[in-house]
Amino acid sequence: MDTLLALLHGFTVALEPSKLLFCLIGVFLGTAVGVLPGIGPALTVALLLPVTFKLDPAGSLIMFAGIYYGGMYGGSTTAILLNAPGESASLATALEGSKMAKAGRGGPALATAAIGSFVAGTIATIGLAFLAPWLVEIAVHFGPWDYFGLMILAFVTVSATFGDSPLRGLTSLFIGITLGLIGIDKLTGQARLTFGVPELLNGIEVTTLAVGLFAVGEALYVASQRAHAPEEIIPIKGSLWMTKQDWKRSWAPWLRGTAFGFPIGALPAGGAEVPTFLSYSTERRLCKYPDEFGKGAIEGVAGPEAANNASAAGTLVPLLTLGLPTSATAAIMLAGFQQYGLNPGPLLFAEKPDLVWGLIASLFIANVMLVIINLPLIGLWVKLLAIPQPWLYAGILVFATMGTLAVNGSPVELTMLFGFGYLGYLMRRYDYPVAPMVVGLILGPMAEAQLRRALQISLGDPMILLENPGSATLLGLSFIALVAPFVMKGLDKFKAAED
Amino acid sequence: MANETITRRIDRPALVVAALLLASAGLVANDASQQTIVSTYGLGPTAVPYVVSICLAILGLTHVVVAFKDGIPTPDKADTGAILSIVAGLVGLVACIALGGGFILATALIFACTARGMGRRAFAVDFAIGLVLGLGIFLVFQKLLTLSLPAGPLEHLFF
Amino acid sequence: MLKSILLRSAVTALALAGLTTAAFAQLELKLMAPASPGGGWDGTARSMQQAMMAAGIAKSVQVTNVTGAGGTIGLSQLINAKGDGSQLMVNGFVMIGAIILNKSPVNLTQTTPIARLTAEAEVIVVPTDSPIKTAKDLADRVKADPAKVTWAGGSAGGTDHILAALFADAVGADAKKINYIPFSGGGEALAAMLGGRVTAGISGYGEFEGQIKAGKLRAIAVSSPKRLANAPDAPTLKEQGINLELLNWRSVVAAPGLSAEQQKTLSDAVEKLVKSKEWAEILKARGWDDAYLGGAEFAAFQKAEQERVSKVMHDVGLVK
Repeated sequence: MDTLLALLHGFTVALEPSKLLFCLIGVFLGTAVGVLPGIGPALTVALLLPVTFKLDPAGSLIMFAGIYYGGMYGGSTTAILLNAPGESASLATALEGSKMAKAGRGGPALATAAIGSFVAGTIATIGLAFLAPWLVEIAVHFGPWDYFGLMILAFVTVSATFGDSPLRGLTSLFIGITLGLIGIDKLTGQARLTFGVPELLNGIEVTTLAVGLFAVGEALYVASQRAHAPEEIIPIKGSLWMTKQDWKRSWAPWLRGTAFGFPIGALPAGGAEVPTFLSYSTERRLCKYPDEFGKGAIEGVAGPEAANNASAAGTLVPLLTLGLPTSATAAIMLAGFQQYGLNPGPLLFAEKPDLVWGLIASLFIANVMLVIINLPLIGLWVKLLAIPQPWLYAGILVFATMGTLAVNGSPVELTMLFGFGYLGYLMRRYDYPVAPMVVGLILGPMAEAQLRRALQISLGDPMILLENPGSATLLGLSFIALVAPFVMKGLDKFKAAED
Repeated sequence: MANETITRRIDRPALVVAALLLASAGLVANDASQQTIVSTYGLGPTAVPYVVSICLAILGLTHVVVAFKDGIPTPDKADTGAILSIVAGLVGLVACIALGGGFILATALIFACTARGMGRRAFAVDFAIGLVLGLGIFLVFQKLLTLSLPAGPLEHLFF
Repeated sequence: MLKSILLRSAVTALALAGLTTAAFAQLELKLMAPASPGGGWDGTARSMQQAMMAAGIAKSVQVTNVTGAGGTIGLSQLINAKGDGSQLMVNGFVMIGAIILNKSPVNLTQTTPIARLTAEAEVIVVPTDSPIKTAKDLADRVKADPAKVTWAGGSAGGTDHILAALFADAVGADAKKINYIPFSGGGEALAAMLGGRVTAGISGYGEFEGQIKAGKLRAIAVSSPKRLANAPDAPTLKEQGINLELLNWRSVVAAPGLSAEQQKTLSDAVEKLVKSKEWAEILKARGWDDAYLGGAEFAAFQKAEQERVSKVMHDVGLVK
């Protein structure tokens, strides 16, 4: 009850006209900057930090919240329309979203992303307000072995992105894992597979690989097929808005995505990628129209987008309750707090209730504003696809290069981007799926680091993975997920034989 | 395998993939073997690379088997000219950045080359559009976001 | 179309916020942060830019980001800009370790040192329910069995790791045997501490401050020469009989091959910056400590730190 009162009080702070204005500006700026590929929410907040410097703490933090959520919305727009996921968390969205956009269903894709983000953001923010102190206790007790179990579970479910050949899917996945080995080893500081190129020491950037394989690779492929089998991009086919059917197919993925995103996002090393992958593969398994997956199934956009946004709210749990910045964005939010001499953490709720609850209330308001701003924009965004094809793809390549250049403008990085682009083209030609490769690059290094941390703590005893209930459960689930399809197949055959 | 008339032809692309995978496996293992520093406790930095190397080798060998059996899907015919045009644009872009030609020129190059690869026959017009686009992006990044894009002679005109 | 409207409103908002009414000086500077936007060095660079423009020390300050290899890619670019009197680069203690670890062909001694700007003390913490109460308790454990004492901190070869190694060394244990577990980012290390997964944690004081004040972590020692003003209860290592001092400092250096006049211009500008009230405000807001050290003294300091770090990294076995 106290929480409810505090939250209501928060709303009285956040609903002051001036605060509403800050929130609106934040939402606007966040969306505008977040649309640029390669510029994810973290960088958006970092770049706009000086803008907020002159405001009072409450106003500035509220603007922050707007920028943060706005940046998240912007990221999914490019993933869907241009197949250029600007950050690793929108990767899963791009898989089905871009297919939908090309088939003239960009409107519903953007709408389900926006509404899903709203639903997920709202539920997750409620979770933040009411469950935070309790959730965070569990979160900090998640050890390296538990994370390892979670990563393995994510790995196992990746097979959902394999397409029709396990061999080619696994090949793609392992190339990604191999790429993940490149760079400084996190635990010993030793360079692996860098061949004396200093630019490789930091490892392969996920966005470079993703934009290369997805956007550049596809541009090359479409160009190569133009003469024989020209691709047709239909800006709008059927309704611009979500049909009744779309709503029916979206609501459950939204909720499931939220259920993955919020708790995993609240884990100090959970991140946004793992829940989006888990959501994608869950939706693929549960979908009533499995044939549509890979061609633009709305569930594949609704779920991961909700997971992505819920995890963003999730990262605020450790940030506000413990002062733990668990993502790049959260680290910059922390810097934002600190510029006013505020230290988020256990004391902040007690010392500055106005501020904390004002911030939480403005997260709700930012969510509402975003959905109100973004829904009418969909019509305009979709028109982008009506640009003549040569210009559209030329523009996509310019966009892809721009993001890479702004964040890491070395010729080596560009060469990698285009090298991956050509690889993506070849993989499309010979029907190798590209998504598992990016997944391997993201999950591989995480899994390795957590496994090695676990074994360092246990002084090399692998039993630690099975002795802890958390990791044992997760590894058990992974095992079931791995063998279940075979068992089911066996049962089906058995049944068929019976008949 | 109901079909008896399997054509005994070796699938060359599958063999190339196999060779590349085996080569990568060798590369990863070789790199790991040259690590001088191992961590004191738990797994060292070479354990995972060795595992990955073994997996790559298995995948490579499977591709060899596949090459002698069904092969990997044969692709449709590709328009080499279109690909070359875009690749030329990409190479030109990297060269332009590396040699200090600046962002705007590089953008114009990639824009015009891609549009050409996609079938347009108005290189000069597209190049001009690319220049304007590049200038716009450059100004937004430089002035609003204070993120510096590579500058060349053109960009220095705007300072 | 719509985007241009969005951007135009972005322009207005940014222009409003960025309005600075200082008199314009003539100096035009390029300031490189050898890290990606949003990181620590980038924060220092952008704060310097902000203060220099506001205080009217420079006509323009352009911040560029050169990422990669712990800042050593930026460093080699700076060294290539020989004789360029307008180019500055932010660096710090962490870069010394990165240079050694990455076997970088370039070196900080090749730059023109300008000044040390800020410094942050490191703190060693244990969970509140830990039986370890003082640095001496911890030292005893490390001496008894270094494997059983797990340390959580930042990246391998970074400040936290070096402090752990120096600690072992100072108390007479084998630095090579320390069980140091690098975590990515302070948040993850902090979670490992709060969850009681590790024996002790090391980080910059600011990162653990909230937890220490809230009583979730116990600060058993700070690495500064004197106790910290904002944490008078945390004793220094020296007080507890461990002869060890370490500060995580940030500094600014210029390109090599500058004339005496060029060097003076830059040194003067940075000195003016450090004395400006705008800079003081930023330091306060960000919680950074002023640690200004200029010219030749800074050059000597940087050299001494380089030797110390190099020795430690060999001792720990990070380099052979």
